[in-house]
Amino acid sequence: MVTELTESTFDKFIEDNSVAVIDCWAPWCGPCRRMAPIMEDLSKALSGKAGVAKFNVDTSPAISIRFGIRAIPTVLIFKNGVLIETLVGLRSKEDIMEYIDTT
Amino acid sequence: MKADVVIIGCGPAGLQAGIHSSRRNADTVIVGKLKNSALYGAHIENYFGPSEKTDGSVLLKNGLERALSFGCRHIDQNVIGASRFEGGFRIAVESGEEIDCMAVVIATGISRTKLGIPGEKEFLGKGVSYCAECDCNFYKGLKVAVIGDESGAAASAELMTGYASVVYWVSEKMSADKNLIDKAEAAGVKIIAGKPAEIRGGNAVGSLLLAGGTEIAVDGIFIELGGRSSADLAMDLGVMPEADDSIGTDRKCETSVAGVFACGDITGGPWQLAKAVGEGAVAGINAAGRARGTP
Repeated sequence: MVTELTESTFDKFIEDNSVAVIDCWAPWCGPCRRMAPIMEDLSKALSGKAGVAKFNVDTSPAISIRFGIRAIPTVLIFKNGVLIETLVGLRSKEDIMEYIDTT
Repeated sequence: MKADVVIIGCGPAGLQAGIHSSRRNADTVIVGKLKNSALYGAHIENYFGPSEKTDGSVLLKNGLERALSFGCRHIDQNVIGASRFEGGFRIAVESGEEIDCMAVVIATGISRTKLGIPGEKEFLGKGVSYCAECDCNFYKGLKVAVIGDESGAAASAELMTGYASVVYWVSEKMSADKNLIDKAEAAGVKIIAGKPAEIRGGNAVGSLLLAGGTEIAVDGIFIELGGRSSADLAMDLGVMPEADDSIGTDRKCETSVAGVFACGDITGGPWQLAKAVGEGAVAGINAAGRARGTP
């Protein structure tokens, strides 16, 4: 299951999951809509190993500013609370998995 | 305008689809520019028929003539939008004209999206974007440049005037329809003739350098080459593309949406002329059948 985050739940999700994968998206963005099923598949593949979530950048500019997001979709990967990878643009499940496995 | 079948794309797959669709007595319109086909500048020596190496442009011109001889109509413009409409589909072209039809064949090939200039890769997500629709909101009150020669750039430049403080449209070989250029200029877009050479900046984009030395200070650069992308057109019609932008079809070259067909490079590899033509024939025959109720 992909957890839907808000600005107020964002940090706790990163703290609660040793590996957190967060898809920053917006409803008007075509590539973002194509990412949605990919993130669903990813959450199943990573069940018990990582937390998978999505954050609508339209709901709060603060998160975009904090992480320097200027293009969507952007996938943020955190390990032990630290941002270790920022992936810009539409990505396949396999591509994202590779970054999680190798970083 | 009304038609039975609209074919989006004027490469080998689209032209062959047009030939077979019109041979099945379907009123068929092909929309697209021959020069946008990857085949146009290629030399072909692995294709059935010709006895020697043949220019792709010659094959395309001959193919278009054959399609027209069977009754196809051709609109030498890009498609700028598509939608479902009254049980069929509505396709909009650069001039503003709309075509209502019962079946659509997506034969756009693979869109070239990258400019290939220094700084493009480094600043992706830090000021470089390939989707104005997606990222317009991040550039409120900032200066941006949109790069491209065709309808995709025109639409994006016009869109950005609703967000950015200044919008430049940088085009090396302008080929968008005058209707779109006029709309962009009326919205306040500043058109600059020039060839992008380098994207510069520090932590984020700071300027665009043109060949010849002119440097334009901008916060964002939207690279919008060609027309509306095949992936966007597919989504407009209700078809979800794969992550690599390819479109899945069945053995009839029909997508997950009844009446929407796809053929050629857009369905995946091998990216060969023979495969494009074969799929074009299948798509054309079945699109005509779907449109005329004789599948």
